[in-house]
Amino acid sequence: MTYVLNRLLSLILTLFLISLITFAVTNILPGDVAMMIMGTQSNPEALAGLRQSLGLNDPLLVQYGHWIGGMLTGDWGNSLIFKKPIAELLGQKMMASALIVVMSMTFALAAAVPLGVWAAVHRDKWQDTTASATSLLGVSLPDFFWGIVMILVFARWLGWLPSSGYKDPAVDLLGALRHALLPSLALGLGLMAHLTRMTRSTMTGILGQEFIRVARAKGLSEGTVVWRYGLANAVGPVITVAGLQIGYLFGSIIVMESLFNFTGMGWLTYQALLNRDVPLIQATVFVIAAVVMIVNLIVDLLYLVIDPRIRLG
Amino acid sequence: MRKFLTPKGLIGLVLVALIALVGILAPVLLDPALATKMYMTARLQPPSAAHLLGTDQLGRDLAVRVLMGARTSLEIAVVAVVISVLLGLPLGMISGYAGGGVDNVLMRLVDTLLAFPALLLALTISAVLGPNIQNTTIAIGVAFTPYLARIIRGEALRVAQMPYVEAARAAGTTNLAMLGRHILPNILPVVIVQATISLAFAILAEAGLSFLGLGTQPPAASWGLMIQASRDYLEKAPWTGLVPGAAVALTVLGLNMFGDVLRDVLDPRSK
Repeated sequence: MTYVLNRLLSLILTLFLISLITFAVTNILPGDVAMMIMGTQSNPEALAGLRQSLGLNDPLLVQYGHWIGGMLTGDWGNSLIFKKPIAELLGQKMMASALIVVMSMTFALAAAVPLGVWAAVHRDKWQDTTASATSLLGVSLPDFFWGIVMILVFARWLGWLPSSGYKDPAVDLLGALRHALLPSLALGLGLMAHLTRMTRSTMTGILGQEFIRVARAKGLSEGTVVWRYGLANAVGPVITVAGLQIGYLFGSIIVMESLFNFTGMGWLTYQALLNRDVPLIQATVFVIAAVVMIVNLIVDLLYLVIDPRIRLG
Repeated sequence: MRKFLTPKGLIGLVLVALIALVGILAPVLLDPALATKMYMTARLQPPSAAHLLGTDQLGRDLAVRVLMGARTSLEIAVVAVVISVLLGLPLGMISGYAGGGVDNVLMRLVDTLLAFPALLLALTISAVLGPNIQNTTIAIGVAFTPYLARIIRGEALRVAQMPYVEAARAAGTTNLAMLGRHILPNILPVVIVQATISLAFAILAEAGLSFLGLGTQPPAASWGLMIQASRDYLEKAPWTGLVPGAAVALTVLGLNMFGDVLRDVLDPRSK
């Protein structure tokens, strides 16, 4: 319990630091919100007035106080390009991104775990070489390149799936899945490569241990030894690595969602950065970093549940 | 050294050497103007004797562009990794060596930075500074720093507990001399391995940033930019995307293979 409490306290401290960094980075931006709203050709007096009313003449620390105060009380301000409350925008886009993040993680794990185990069982044989060659190829191409290839093959040539857009799963579940499939597959490929390597190395270590030899000596079938004894012990590390990849995924969705015109968090962040929509940049960057931190915490706690050995330490 | 004589080691070595050679020699041997020269009557041409790898939508020779692009992409990646080593090395070394409160504060900061996906951090910095080659390099370098600092810190912590460090301390070695003479040489192998692998990631990051228009700007030739430009013509002329895509893949593949073998040779933990 103390451990959980400690982790929660440290999460709050980290979220505070994240907000400071986000605010600091976006404040180096040349030009300010007033200029963004009124344009560069605007009347200097009106601009000064707007600056005053937006509090842009206040010391940075006061501005930060206003911003973080608003974030804490649910007043996230309005997006300059979408002319909508940011909180509403984020809620919507987060759901869309959750769909492809979960789907790509599922694809990646479903492919990486069997492949990694297969490679570990047949260590240094052709199966191992095949698995490592596949994963090397997976990490060596930018995932947007896979995205382009998939658009070409599945959308243009075969015509099976749409090449761009987003559908709300609450309205049209099948349509939503069809639109999310290609970006998720493309994201999953790069992810799969990392996870295969991790599964392989963890499993190789485990299969060399004493208790595996004992299990074999008892006359258990090879399948039971590998899957029940071996994999059960590899699940923890693999899940931890999968959790750490959430950060990588939230970086990759910026490119992938833009490529597929899939209007989620990544797409929103890109629009904000491209149009220098400062309030929206601050909110999206902060929320993405916060989500990454929180998911990592959840994974660590999940590890406690899965692997009782950790609880002792 | 025998590890380099495996198929993986050899392929990695050859690919890295070849690409480095291309990056260094292409701008010397070829006229840079050729990369932006447009053959208006030969747009989107498939590979032929006149244009070995075909031409793009503006009739520019893809073979020349991909060779010249090597310089841009490699330069950005190498300088970005140097920046992240220059920032991450002191940060990680001091944190791991000093321990205690200093370590706590520095690593808290690094962990916070790690919460920002590297690509998001690089994109934000690039957008804030204004996208061009120089700022893209800085953005990637800064975004990679926390990863490197974390690894170097762990390594410095390990080395700082070695008996010879203790002996040197007992002999009255100053902190600065200790860091420079005892810690640094012993963590260097790990730094070299990490830098090699970071190079692969930096190539991918540059491609990602340029693809989104927040990296290298046209008409410069960079691999990411070429892939981006090919998007609308892929159906008619797939080679416009495949050529730069293959260049990225071969480079990153080579660096990853080379890095893997380098780790086996240099990293004490992998033995």
